[in-house]
Amino acid sequence: MTKISEMPAVARHFISNLDLTVTSHPSWTEPVPANERRVSIVSTAAVSRRGDKPFSWLAKDSRTFHKTDRDLVMTHVAVEFDRSAWQQDLNTIIPLDRLEEMAADSEIDSVAEEHYSFMGAADPVTMEKSARAVAANMKREGVNTVFLIPI
Amino acid sequence: MCGLAHFFESEGLSTVLVGFVREHLEAMRPPRSLFLDFPMGRGMGKPNNPRFQKKVIRAAFELLDKNGGPVIDDFPEIIPVRAGRMGYALPPELVLSVDDVSNLDVVLAEVRSEMEALRPDYDVAVAARGRTTVGASGLAVEELAPFVAGFLGGEIPQSPRKGMAAIPLLKLVVEDLEAYYTETRTHRDRIDDLELMGEWFWEESKVGRLLLLLEAVSVASDNKVMLQIVEMSLMAPRFWSEGPLPGTSAAGW
Repeated sequence: MTKISEMPAVARHFISNLDLTVTSHPSWTEPVPANERRVSIVSTAAVSRRGDKPFSWLAKDSRTFHKTDRDLVMTHVAVEFDRSAWQQDLNTIIPLDRLEEMAADSEIDSVAEEHYSFMGAADPVTMEKSARAVAANMKREGVNTVFLIPI
Repeated sequence: MCGLAHFFESEGLSTVLVGFVREHLEAMRPPRSLFLDFPMGRGMGKPNNPRFQKKVIRAAFELLDKNGGPVIDDFPEIIPVRAGRMGYALPPELVLSVDDVSNLDVVLAEVRSEMEALRPDYDVAVAARGRTTVGASGLAVEELAPFVAGFLGGEIPQSPRKGMAAIPLLKLVVEDLEAYYTETRTHRDRIDDLELMGEWFWEESKVGRLLLLLEAVSVASDNKVMLQIVEMSLMAPRFWSEGPLPGTSAAGW
């Protein structure tokens, strides 16, 4: 396991000093059975549809893309993560094709029409308004399960 | 990511997340999380490997079947990283200075020639994949290197993109250049190796040298944003290096 204490100096200092948001009373929603799951992906990779407004460096807002969208670009401010994997295969960070296959095999009920992206470099506390708007959209289309994938 | 989980759960949506830093998952305790011992940028592990990707998803979704929580599980397979770094890092000793900025026309001509030579293979890669990630900046491929070169005189050039200032645009231009090169090589040579791609682009290519010259100019710049970009390793990949870029304190981190 890659431990923070074993990371190189700059990264170790940064990651170990991040101000983590610890919730004293964490929320909890009971999951539905697998065959009832309608799944939406939330990525913090700062991806968006080509032509959409790029994310600012500490963006609080989100972008929406459709489950059939494949022409996505990334405007994440940080460079510490590998880009070459998603360049080769979108599913490496946003596994829409895999979820569709799982829905076809009845491992889940369905894949949501809409999926969402945030800027992972920003403080999640600042994203609350956007996140609640995203949640409202999800509920409107019957989503009950959110798959959160960082970059 | 853990904070987002809290918001969604409080809205009546069940969440499951994957994460790369186990200590953070332990500290923040989202309802359901799967720790991945993978390089960052590879949440589903391996590109073009549906079987592996689906194993990750299934392992994550199994957490939705558990009673109670918070629950953290470890994905059993590891994708090794080098020396504790979860992405490519420039060698600390590979640093250029403003004194290296000379014959800019020659540097730019070499980059143009290099990019033109890659173009047929880039086009094949795009056709094969049916997509490209090049284009975040909104500039044409031919405009990318000249825009970077415009900074090497020490002045901030005009932004050609309406509604976006030159420095944020520069960030996206650097992204586009790297994507152009790595999309080409990963397809042409069937390489999936982030360390090798980083070494080739940043240490061996002509455009890598152009960007290291840009870094040198940024360190010497009076412009606070340009300095911040290098202090925070937002352009050249030094986040996983063994020390900060000489001439900077990494205080931005």
